[in-house]
Amino acid sequence: MSEVDVFMKLALEQAKLALDSLEVPVGCVIIEDQKVISSGRNRTTETRNATRHAEMEAIDALLEQWQKNGSTREEVALKFSKCSLYVTCEPCIMCAAALSIIGIKEVYYGCGNDKFGGCGSILSLHTDSSEKLASGGVSRKKGFKCTGGIMASEAIDLFRSFYEQGNPNGKGDGEHFFRPGEACSCPCAGQPILVSIRV
Amino acid sequence: MDCNGDESATVKIIHIPEKPPILPHCQPTVDVLASAIEPKHANVLVRKLNHIAPLEGLRHIKRIRKTCLDGGKNQLFVILCMGSRNDGETTYLPEEVLELVNTYQLSTFTTKVGHLAYVMLKGLKFCFLCFVEMMSCSHCYFTPSHLIQVCKYAALTKEEWEEQCKLWPTSFHPPTYNIDGITGFSEEDSSSVLNFMKLAVSMAKSCTSVVNAAVIVDPSSKHVIASSCDEVQSCNPLTNSTHMESCCSGANANKMEKDPILLKCSSSEAKQSYDNISCLRPWGWLEQRLHLRPDSWHPLRHAAIVAIENSAARDRRLFPLDGHSAELAQEDCKVSSPIGSPLKRQKTYTNVKDDDERMECHRNGSLCDSTKPYLCTGYDIYFVWEPCIMCAMAIVHQRIKRVFYAFPNPNDGALGSVHRLQGERSLNHHYAVFRVLLPEHILKTVLLTTATKVDQCTTQISL
Repeated sequence: MSEVDVFMKLALEQAKLALDSLEVPVGCVIIEDQKVISSGRNRTTETRNATRHAEMEAIDALLEQWQKNGSTREEVALKFSKCSLYVTCEPCIMCAAALSIIGIKEVYYGCGNDKFGGCGSILSLHTDSSEKLASGGVSRKKGFKCTGGIMASEAIDLFRSFYEQGNPNGKGDGEHFFRPGEACSCPCAGQPILVSIRV
Repeated sequence: MDCNGDESATVKIIHIPEKPPILPHCQPTVDVLASAIEPKHANVLVRKLNHIAPLEGLRHIKRIRKTCLDGGKNQLFVILCMGSRNDGETTYLPEEVLELVNTYQLSTFTTKVGHLAYVMLKGLKFCFLCFVEMMSCSHCYFTPSHLIQVCKYAALTKEEWEEQCKLWPTSFHPPTYNIDGITGFSEEDSSSVLNFMKLAVSMAKSCTSVVNAAVIVDPSSKHVIASSCDEVQSCNPLTNSTHMESCCSGANANKMEKDPILLKCSSSEAKQSYDNISCLRPWGWLEQRLHLRPDSWHPLRHAAIVAIENSAARDRRLFPLDGHSAELAQEDCKVSSPIGSPLKRQKTYTNVKDDDERMECHRNGSLCDSTKPYLCTGYDIYFVWEPCIMCAMAIVHQRIKRVFYAFPNPNDGALGSVHRLQGERSLNHHYAVFRVLLPEHILKTVLLTTATKVDQCTTQISL
C-alpha cells in the first residue's frame, strides 16, 4: 500500500467516526514529516454550525496546539507550508479558500464534490492565481498542489451508507438529505451518486 | 440607533444579481448552424437532433423557429448543431447530423452546408461563394443552412427575453424564488435594513483598527441573532463584553473626524488602515501587529465565521436536544466548542434577549419545534465589506437568506467583485445579495453616535 493510501485510510477512519455520530461522513488528517499531526471529521450536526467541516476542525486543532506551544505567526505559517492534508472528499469552496489562506502545501482528496467543490469542480481556488489588482497591488493568493481520486470509491461508500441511514438533521423522513425548497442531493434525484453534501 | 423617515428615504439598496448586469440588447451570443426544414419532418428532426446534437448549456434556446417569408408563406428553421466549439477550433458538421440531412432530403444542400460550416467556423460571416455578407447575397438568399446567432444565457428579465427573441426564440422562466427585496423595499424595510447596517458599521469602526463586522438578523422579529467583528488579529479585550450592541464598540470622536475612513473608502491614503479587514486581505494574517497580544490570532476567524459560530451556540443554548436543561446544553457546547482556547474565553452572548426568547418558548408549551431554527434559514446577514469567498461560502452552508453589504471588496469579494457566488447554480442553497449605499451624512451620524456611546474603552485606542 502506498504512503498516500495509508494516509487516506486514516482519513477514511475519521469519516467513519463521523458516520457513527450521524454526521455527513467526511474525515481528514494533516501530515507533517510523514507523521499525522492532526485529524478532523465533520461536526456540522452536533455543533449546528454548518461550517464545521473536517478540514476546519483539523486546522483549528493545530492552531490551538501550536499557539499553546508559543509558536509565532511566522513559525505557524512555515509549518503549514510543510503540511499535507488528506481528506475523503474534495474540499468545498469555503475549505479550499481556508486551506489557501493558511498556506497548506498540498491536498489529496478522495471523491469529487460536484456541488460545492473548490478544487476544480465548481471553482479552482487551489491554483495559484496571483494577479494584479485594479488598485495596483498584487493579491498574494497562495495555491496548493491538489490530487484527487485517492480511494474515491471507499469515500463514496460511506456517503451511500449515510444516505441509507438518513440524515438526522433533515425533516425526519429518514431517507433524504434535503430541506424544503432545496434540491435533494441524494441518489433519488437521479443524479450520479457523487457526493454533494458537505453540510 | 434611531432612524427617521428622512434617513430611510436616502438609503439606496441595490440588488446584486446572479449575473453581471447587461443591457438587453448587448447580451452575449453564440453561433449555431440552422437549416430550413419541411414542417412534416419537424417533430422527428427535433427529437433526433436533441439526441445526437444536444445544445449544451443552451437549454433556453428553442430548437425550431417559424419565420414568415415574403409572400406570407411560413418557413420552419431548425438548429442543427453548435456553430463552433468553445475553444474556437474549427468543427465540421457532425457525421450523424450530416446523415440526418441526407435522410430528410436535405441532401442537395449538403455541400453547401459543409461549405458554409467551413466558412463560418473560420470566423467569417461572409458567403463562401461571393464574400458578400451572409444572407444578403443571392447565393445565400435561398441557402437552407445558415450560421446564426442565439443568446448564450437564459433571460432573467422580460426585457432581456424580448430582445433575445429578435435573434432566435428562447424560453423565459421568471425566477421561481421570491426573496423579499428583490423587487424593492418598503420604507419600513429600508429603515430596518439601514438600522442593522448602522450597527455593523459602528462595530467595524469601534475596535483599535477598522475591521469587518457581521450581524445576523432574524428579519421577521427584527432581532439580532448573533454578531461579531473580525477576530483574525484579536479585536481587543472588549470582545469580552457581554452585551452584543456594545461589543467592541469604541472610538474617539476627535480621531474619527480626522480619519473618516468609512467615508472615503476608496481613497488611497486610507489604505494603510484597511490592513486589518480580514476579507479584504485574507492572506494578511501573517503580518505582525505590534499592539497585539501574541496568543490571540487566528487566520480564519473572519467576522462571518465567528458570527455563525455565535449563532450556532445560541441555537444550542435555546434549543437543547432531548429535554436537557438549557444550562446543561450550554456546558456541553462550551466543552465541545471546536475553537481553541484563545477565544473560548468569550462566553459572549448570553444576553437578556436570549433568555426572554426562551421563556417565551416555554410559555408556549415546551421548546416549540416550529420555532426551532434550522441553521440560519430565513435570516439576514449584514457586512460592512463584501465578504471573501471563504465567508461567502460559509453563509451558503449556514443557509442565510439575504446578504447586505455596504462596501465592495475589490481584492477578494465573492458576491460580485471577484467571484459571484450567488450565481453558482450548482450550490444547494442560494441567497439574495444587496448592496446598501449609505449616504455620507448617515455614515457621519453613525460614527459620531458610536463615539459618544462608548467611553470605557477609549484607552484602548492606540493608533
